[in-house]
Amino acid sequence: MTLTTVNAGMLDTQAQYNGFKNRIINGAMVNDQRNAGASGTASTYTVDRWGYFGSQASKGTWQQSAGAVTPPSGFINYLGFTSSSAYSVLTTDQFYLYQRIEGLNTADLSFGSASAAYVTLSFWVRSSLTGTFGGFLTNSASNRTYPFSYTISVANTWEQKTVSVAGDTTGTWLTTSGIGIGVGFNLGTGATYSATANAWTASAFVTAPTGATSVVGTNGATFYITGVQLEKGSTATSFDYRPYGTELALCQRYFISYGGTTQYERIAVGVCNTTTTASCMTFLPVPMRTTPTLAHTATWGVYEGSNVYTVTSIVVDHPTPLVFNASYTVASGLTANRVANVLANNSTAARLQLSAEL
Amino acid sequence: MIQYKLQKGSFGDVVAVTIIGQNISIPLDPDNTDYQQYLAWLAEGNTPEPAGA
Repeated sequence: MTLTTVNAGMLDTQAQYNGFKNRIINGAMVNDQRNAGASGTASTYTVDRWGYFGSQASKGTWQQSAGAVTPPSGFINYLGFTSSSAYSVLTTDQFYLYQRIEGLNTADLSFGSASAAYVTLSFWVRSSLTGTFGGFLTNSASNRTYPFSYTISVANTWEQKTVSVAGDTTGTWLTTSGIGIGVGFNLGTGATYSATANAWTASAFVTAPTGATSVVGTNGATFYITGVQLEKGSTATSFDYRPYGTELALCQRYFISYGGTTQYERIAVGVCNTTTTASCMTFLPVPMRTTPTLAHTATWGVYEGSNVYTVTSIVVDHPTPLVFNASYTVASGLTANRVANVLANNSTAARLQLSAEL
Repeated sequence: MIQYKLQKGSFGDVVAVTIIGQNISIPLDPDNTDYQQYLAWLAEGNTPEPAGA
C-alpha cells in the first residue's frame, strides 16, 4: 500500500500517545486512598487528586461511585456529588469539584505567553438535572480564569462533553512544582464568582460561568463525573488509560496512605533514641511533590524485639520527599539503641497518611 | 481557631510544627501547602507554642 496523504492533525494526535497525554491524574476516579469508597461532606480531598470545596457546610455529599449507577462504557468508577438540600446560593458562595495540576506537568503548554497552546478538556458527566452547567480553568493565583459552559441534555444519562480552550497568553502560569492549572466543575456559584462563559477573565476566584445550573439548589440532585482528560491541542482524543500501578504512583506523588491491610502492618524501621522515642524511616514508593505533612489515627505501636509499645504521638523529623522519617513517642519502656519498627498495634483502623498536595 | 506548636527532632533542632489537638505534623518546607498556611498564620501576628512546652 502506498501512503499518499498524511494528516497533520493525526500526526499531532498520535504523537501525544507517546507521552503524558492526559494532564489530569486519576481522571477515571479509580484511586481513593483516603476514603476507600466512603462518603464525606467536608471541603477536602475526595478520591485521589480530586478536591471538593463548599463555602457552606453540609450542602452535599461526595463519594466514589455514589449512587452505584453503571458508569459509562469503559469505566468502572466515577466521582459523585449529591445535594442534601435546596440551597439558594449567596452572591459569594462557591461549590465545586477540582483538581490542581502541577506546573511541571503543564509547562509545555506555554500559558502566559504568545505561544500558549490550545487545550481540550473532555469528560463524561451525568446529572439528575438538565440545562447549562459550568466549570473553570484557572492559574495558581486564581486571577486568570476561563469559566466554560456545557449542556446536559438528558437527565440521569451519561453524556460525554468536550471543551476546547485557546491557551491564556497573559497572566502568570507556574511551571514549577506549584499549581500549574486548576480544573474545576461547578456545583453552585454566586454572582461574585461568576463571569462570562468561554472567555478568559482577570476577575479573582471565578469558578463558574454566569447562569450555570446550581446542583446544590435542588435537594437530592446528583452530579456524577468520570473520564476527565485535559490534553494539549484543540481536539479531544480517546481517554488515556494508564496502567493501574502507574496511575496509583502518579497519585502517590501527592498522597500516600499506610495502614488498613493487616492488624500488625509494619510501616517503618529505625532505632530507639531513648526510653520514650524511636526515630524510624519509611522509604516512599515514589518521590513526593514536596516534603509531606503527616496525619495519623490510632493505634500504632513501636516494636523493639520483645514488646509493642503504644505510640502516643508522631512528629516528622528531617523527612524528605523520598524518605519519610519521624519520631514516634511512647509513654515508657523502650530500650535505647535497640532496633525498632513501627507497626499497627493490633488495629486495622490505624492510618498514617502523608500529603504533599497542591 | 487553629493553634500551632513547634516541635524538636532527634537532634534537638526545631523540625516541625504540629496542630494542637490534631494528629498532624508539618515539616518546615516552603513548598508544603500546610506550612504555607502556617506562615500565613504567623504573618497575621500569631505565635506558636514553643517546642517542649
